[in-house]
Amino acid sequence: MRLMFINGSPRGTQSNTGRLMGHFIRGFLQTEGNTCDMEYLTKNRRSLADLAEKFAAAQTVIIGFPLYVDAMPGSVKAFLEKLQPYVGRSDNPALGFVIQCGFPETSHNRYVERYCEKFSRRMGCRYLGAILKGGCEGLDIQPTFLTDKYYQYYNLLGLEFGKTGAFDAAILEKLARPEHLTSENMAQVIPFINQALWDAQLEANGVLDKSFNKPFGS
Amino acid sequence: MKYLLINGNPYHDHDEIDRYVIRLAAGLESAGNEVRVLVLRDMKIRPCTGCFHCWVKDPGTCIIEDDGREVSRQYIASDHVILASPLVMGFLSATLKNAMDRNIPLVHPHLEAIDKEVHHKKRYENYPVVSFLLEKEPFTDAEDIAIVTDLFRREAINVRSSLGFVKFIDTPVDEVQNALDVH
Ligand SMILES: Cc1cc2nc3c(=O)[nH]c(=O)nc-3n(C[C@H](O)[C@H](O)[C@H](O)COP(=O)(O)O)c2cc1C
Repeated sequence: MRLMFINGSPRGTQSNTGRLMGHFIRGFLQTEGNTCDMEYLTKNRRSLADLAEKFAAAQTVIIGFPLYVDAMPGSVKAFLEKLQPYVGRSDNPALGFVIQCGFPETSHNRYVERYCEKFSRRMGCRYLGAILKGGCEGLDIQPTFLTDKYYQYYNLLGLEFGKTGAFDAAILEKLARPEHLTSENMAQVIPFINQALWDAQLEANGVLDKSFNKPFGS
Repeated sequence: MKYLLINGNPYHDHDEIDRYVIRLAAGLESAGNEVRVLVLRDMKIRPCTGCFHCWVKDPGTCIIEDDGREVSRQYIASDHVILASPLVMGFLSATLKNAMDRNIPLVHPHLEAIDKEVHHKKRYENYPVVSFLLEKEPFTDAEDIAIVTDLFRREAINVRSSLGFVKFIDTPVDEVQNALDVH
């Protein structure tokens, strides 16, 4: 199988999207004969129409992006708009998505997932589904027993996808945990993230006391 | 009331929604409101790069020095913001979405629970109500409208605003204005 992976993170090569999908692609390439073309939207910003042409010529495409204000980043939307000329073509590629977000619960990604599914139908692309995961900002501060588990799931998803051309529903479901947080989970997780992720960076930059700055007045 | 109308129509040669925004702005103004209109395609707004400078280096200020900052400044100074866009491939134009992504300096990085979900803390005391004024595509159906309406409700919560209305420009202008008087 020949896969085209489009990394839509505005952080490009230094993204959580790329880091997680690296594990997927490693698994995917274990099946002999599989190949993967990697594209970055950050590198194609000025030539989105050319990338759209490559999309249209591909067999199988996965588009990855971080959740930005509950949907795709504006720069990813700009690329989706460039696919307009190919709407409804009979030989459009099969299309899947990989979406991850900062908030700890995966549920935040479910709304844009519906959009992605409808988008694929509109394009006339066979929809492969979406790999969704919450809690992906600050992978470095999370305990490695957790992150190793995520990486292993992405790897297994890639391995299965490389063999069958489908996302394994049981792994998707495991990866998506926790879908929601209980009040007890929140009482633990929220102070941890606020301190270990945000206050630590604010402090390192010497601006912890300015974190509530209001540059546009009060 | 302070109204901000943000026109995210990317097309120069397709101006039905532009004319609608102008008529709505005039109507709101003659009813005694303070009204501002921004036309995004005439402004320079680069996409967010996800650097979080606005949260951890210079809290509240985006590192990119362009008109994106001005949009945020006017957004937070308003009582009600109306985002206008044609649906393009079933969602807000990239022009508008890019400007909305640049609004994250308006909230604080810390998390808190809102309705059993994690969101960001407020940076400012007051946030505007956000409404959407859209133009349908030829193929827009009820499912598309349900999908975007749910997304808009969530986007509003995420920037600590609340969703006003979602209307299409086949609605008479005075009906939209009446809906605004209610909120
Ligand atoms: C402008 C902006 C908006 C964001 N909006 C959300 C959001 O609505 N929900 C969420 O859970 N995370 C949100 N995030 C966090 C990113 O989804 C998260 O940091 C992600 O892991 C970044 O992935 P990347 O490194 O691949 O770009 C936002 C980040 C930025 C910069």
